Amino acid sequence: MHFLAVVDQLRKIAGREAVLDRPEDLMLYEYDAGVRKCTPVAVVFPQNTQQVAQIMRLASSTGFPVVARGAGTGLSGGAISPEGGVVLAFARMNRVLEVDAENMRAIAQPGVVNLQLSEHVAHLGLYFAPDPSSQKACTIGGNVAENSGGPHTLMYGVTVNHVTGLTAVLPSGDVVHLGGKAAESSGYDLTGFFVGSEGTVGVVTEITVRLLRRPERITTLLGIFETIDDGAKTVSAITAAGITPAALEMLDGWTLRAVEAACHAGYPLDAGAVLLIELEGLAEQVEEQAEAVRDVCLRESAREVRRAKDENERALLWKGRKNAFAALGRLAPSYYSQDGVVPRTKIPAVLRFIQSVAEKYGLRIGNIFHAGDGNLHPLILFDPRDPAQLDLVQAAGAEILECCVAMGGSITGEHGVGLEKRDLMPLLFTNDDLDVMLSLRNAFNAAGVLNPGKLFPTTRMCRETSGPSTNPVLQAEGM
Amino acid sequence: MSATGVAVGVARELRAICGDENARERPNGGVYVSPASPEEVADVLKLANECHLSVGPAGGSTERSTAELNTDIALHLNRLTEVEHYDHADLTVGIGAGTTVAQLSAMVGADRLLFACDPPSPERATVGGVLARAGHGPLRYGYGAVRDYCIGVRFVTGDGRRAKGGGRVVKNVAGYDLMKLLIGSYGTLAVITSASFKLFPASRQTRTYLAEFATAREALEFRDRVMLSPLSPMCLELVSPGARKLMRPEMTSDAWVICVRAAGSDAVLARYRKELGSAVTRELEGDSESGMWKAVEDFPASQTGQVDQPHIVELTVWPRDVQVVVDTLLEATALGGPDTAVIGRVGIGHLLVKSYGGLDLRRAIFEPLTKNLKGKVTVKAVGAANPWPIPPENLASMRAVKQALDPNNVLRGREIF
Repeated sequence: MHFLAVVDQLRKIAGREAVLDRPEDLMLYEYDAGVRKCTPVAVVFPQNTQQVAQIMRLASSTGFPVVARGAGTGLSGGAISPEGGVVLAFARMNRVLEVDAENMRAIAQPGVVNLQLSEHVAHLGLYFAPDPSSQKACTIGGNVAENSGGPHTLMYGVTVNHVTGLTAVLPSGDVVHLGGKAAESSGYDLTGFFVGSEGTVGVVTEITVRLLRRPERITTLLGIFETIDDGAKTVSAITAAGITPAALEMLDGWTLRAVEAACHAGYPLDAGAVLLIELEGLAEQVEEQAEAVRDVCLRESAREVRRAKDENERALLWKGRKNAFAALGRLAPSYYSQDGVVPRTKIPAVLRFIQSVAEKYGLRIGNIFHAGDGNLHPLILFDPRDPAQLDLVQAAGAEILECCVAMGGSITGEHGVGLEKRDLMPLLFTNDDLDVMLSLRNAFNAAGVLNPGKLFPTTRMCRETSGPSTNPVLQAEGM
Repeated sequence: MSATGVAVGVARELRAICGDENARERPNGGVYVSPASPEEVADVLKLANECHLSVGPAGGSTERSTAELNTDIALHLNRLTEVEHYDHADLTVGIGAGTTVAQLSAMVGADRLLFACDPPSPERATVGGVLARAGHGPLRYGYGAVRDYCIGVRFVTGDGRRAKGGGRVVKNVAGYDLMKLLIGSYGTLAVITSASFKLFPASRQTRTYLAEFATAREALEFRDRVMLSPLSPMCLELVSPGARKLMRPEMTSDAWVICVRAAGSDAVLARYRKELGSAVTRELEGDSESGMWKAVEDFPASQTGQVDQPHIVELTVWPRDVQVVVDTLLEATALGGPDTAVIGRVGIGHLLVKSYGGLDLRRAIFEPLTKNLKGKVTVKAVGAANPWPIPPENLASMRAVKQALDPNNVLRGREIF
C-alpha cells in the first residue's frame, strides 16, 4: 500500500488530527536521546487499545513497520522508526486508569510520565519505585519496553520487578491480558517476558504496576574522595559491610565540576570523585546505617562525608545527579552515553580502562553512574556535525562494552539494546542463544512488523567472551 | 511412543550419553537418566526430540506429578552441581541446577550471605526445581519472588538447543528476559541446567513476634496495620488454627496467628515491638524462632498422622481478598468436614491450603472462589499433572512460546495444554 493510503487509513482509525505526515512534523520523531536518526512516514497518536489493535491489523495486512514510542528519551535508538515505518506515539494515552491503594497497585496507560505516576499517588503515601534520570519526561510505556532502571533500583529492582500485569496488542491485532493485580498469575510469566522486549513482541496499552509505601526516613550522604579509585573501592566496601543503600551513585571529578557549574548542587569542585549514598527505611535503621556508611567511607580514604541537613539539601544533591547528562551539554554539542554493567568489585578496573580508552582516542569521557549495581554510564563527548567523530565515539564505546563483558558484565543495564548495541549482542550471546530469542520473537512477530531491526544483530560475530584479552589494561586485571 | 515403549536402541544411546550407571530402565518401561553436564542434557533432549519421546525433568522430586512419572525419560539433574561463579563480594552466585537449596544456602551462609529462597524440604529441593515451579517460602514477603533475584539462566530447549538468558551481574537488560519465561513454567519449555542469583547480606539478628486472634478477620486487620506502619518485616505470615495443629500437634489453641519476623539491631527490634503493640503475645528468637520458621517452610511437606494424602493448593489473590478466601474455605470445611489448614504470605495475597478428607476441591473451593472473586484468583495445585486447574487466560500465547522452544512437545512432565 502506498504510504498516502496508509496515512489515510490511519486517519480513519485514530482521527484526522491524530496523524502527522508533514516533513516538518516528522522531524521531531526522527530521533531519540541516542545518536541515530531515521524519519518515519507517519506518526499516529492512538487514544485507546482498540485503535492500537486496528492499527496493528492494518500494519500486518499491508506490511508497514510499527514502532511504539513514549517520550523519545530512550538512549539506544529503540523508538526510532526504520525506513517506511509508522511511529505509534502514546502521548494521548496518558491517563492513570485506576489507583488501588488497598492492594498497592495502579493501572496506567503507556503515555503516563514516570514521575507523574508517583505524584498521582503521593497523597496516599505511595510511589512507583523505578526512577530513571529522565523520569520527568520518560513514560511508563517506554520504561516497560526497555525494562528501565534508575538510581533506586539498587534496593528496589528495575521495572520488571514492579509490573504485575499488562494489556498488550500483538502484531495480529489480538489483544491479550497478561498477569493482573495479583502477585502471581496462572501460566507462563508472559508479563515478565514482555517487559524489556523493546517493543518487538507486542504493543503495551495498559500497565498494572506495584506501588510502594514511602519510607519513614530517607537520608542522603555525600562521600567525597580525592581519587576515583578510592570512591570506586568504597562501593564494594559498603556492600561488604552488609549495607544495601537505596541508591549508590558515583560522579567523577571532571563530571561533577560540569554538573556543579550548571546545577549548583553543592558538590565540591576539587574532589576526584563523589559518592551519593541514599538510605531509606525505619528511622532507627537509617540512623545506624548512616553511621556505618560514614565509617566505611572514612576507612576507605574519603576526605569528608557530608549528610544532607534537610529535604531541600537532599533534593539539590539529587538535582545535580539527575540533570548531569544535560549539564554536559555545556561542554560539548552532544554526548554518547554507554550503559555497560560490571560486577561492582570490577568498577575500579573498568574506570581505569575507560580512562585508557579516552586517552587512546583523544576523547573526553565523563563518568556518572549507578555504582551500587555496577551500571556504568561513561559519557563520551563529541560533535555530531562531524561524522568522523561519531565513528570514533562509537568505536570507543564498543571497546568499553567489550571490556565490561570481559569482566563478567553486560552491554546494557537499563537503556536496552535497540539499534545502538544490536551488533554487540554476540559479545554476550552465542548463535544458539540468539536463535532461541529470535524464535520467541517470531512466535509473536514473525513478519517483523513490530520494531524491526532492533535488538538482534545484523551480523553474527560469534565471538568468544571468556578468552584472555589482548588489551594491556585488561591483562593487568587478569582478564 | 508411549512410556512403556522406549526402544532398546534408544536406551542404549542414552547409556552411551550418560554412562551405564546413569541410565537405567524404570519399572514402567521408561528410562531414568542422570546426565553429568549440560552437554549430556542437550544430547538426551536431542535424542528424545528426534525419537519423539517424552521427557520429565526432575530435581529433588519434592513435588512429583503423575505426568512426570509417565514420561519416557525421567531426566534427573542431581549431578549438575557445579559452582559456575561465586562472587561473594559482588553478592552473586551461579550454580548447577541440581544443587539443593540447603547446599547453596550453606555455601553462601558461610560468608554471611543469604539465598533468599526458602522452599519446603530445602535438603531435597533443588535450584532447578525451585525455578521450574517458582517455589518460595515465607521470605518471599520481604525479599521478593525468585523471579526478582534470578539474574541469569542456562538451559536446554525441548529440541536440544543449549542457550542462556541474562548473565551474572545484578542489572542487565541485554536480550529477552528468558529467566521470567522459564521460572514457573514447570520444565515444559526447557531444562534449566544452571542459574545465577543475586544474594543478600544475612541478618545479624532476627526476632519473631507472634500475635494471636480469635478470628481470621482480626488477624487480617492486624496484617493491615503492619503493612500501613513504617515497618518492613522479612516475613509476614498467617497461620490458621488447623495449620498450627498440623505443625505442632500438641497445640490446642484455636487462634489465628500472624507471625512477623524482623531483622536489625536491638534498637530496631525494640521499635518493632513498640509498633506491633499489645497484640503480640509471644516473641521468639534463637532456636525456637528458627524451628518455628522451619515448620512454616516445611508445612506443605510435613508428615502428620493422617492416613490420606492431602490436597495442597497455592492460591494467590489480591491482598484485600484474603478474607474472601478464608471465608470460602471455612464454608467448604463446614460443608465437607475435612481438616483444612492454611498458611501464607498474606501481605502479598498468597495462601497455601492443605486439605485432608477427599474434599472435592474444584466444587468446594475453586468454583466458589472464582465466583466470589470474579475470576481474580490464581490456583496452583501442588503435584497435579496440570498445575493450573483454572486454565490460564493466555493459552494461545503460551502455545506459541511452547512451539518456539519445544516444537515436538518433548517436555511433558506436566500436562498444561
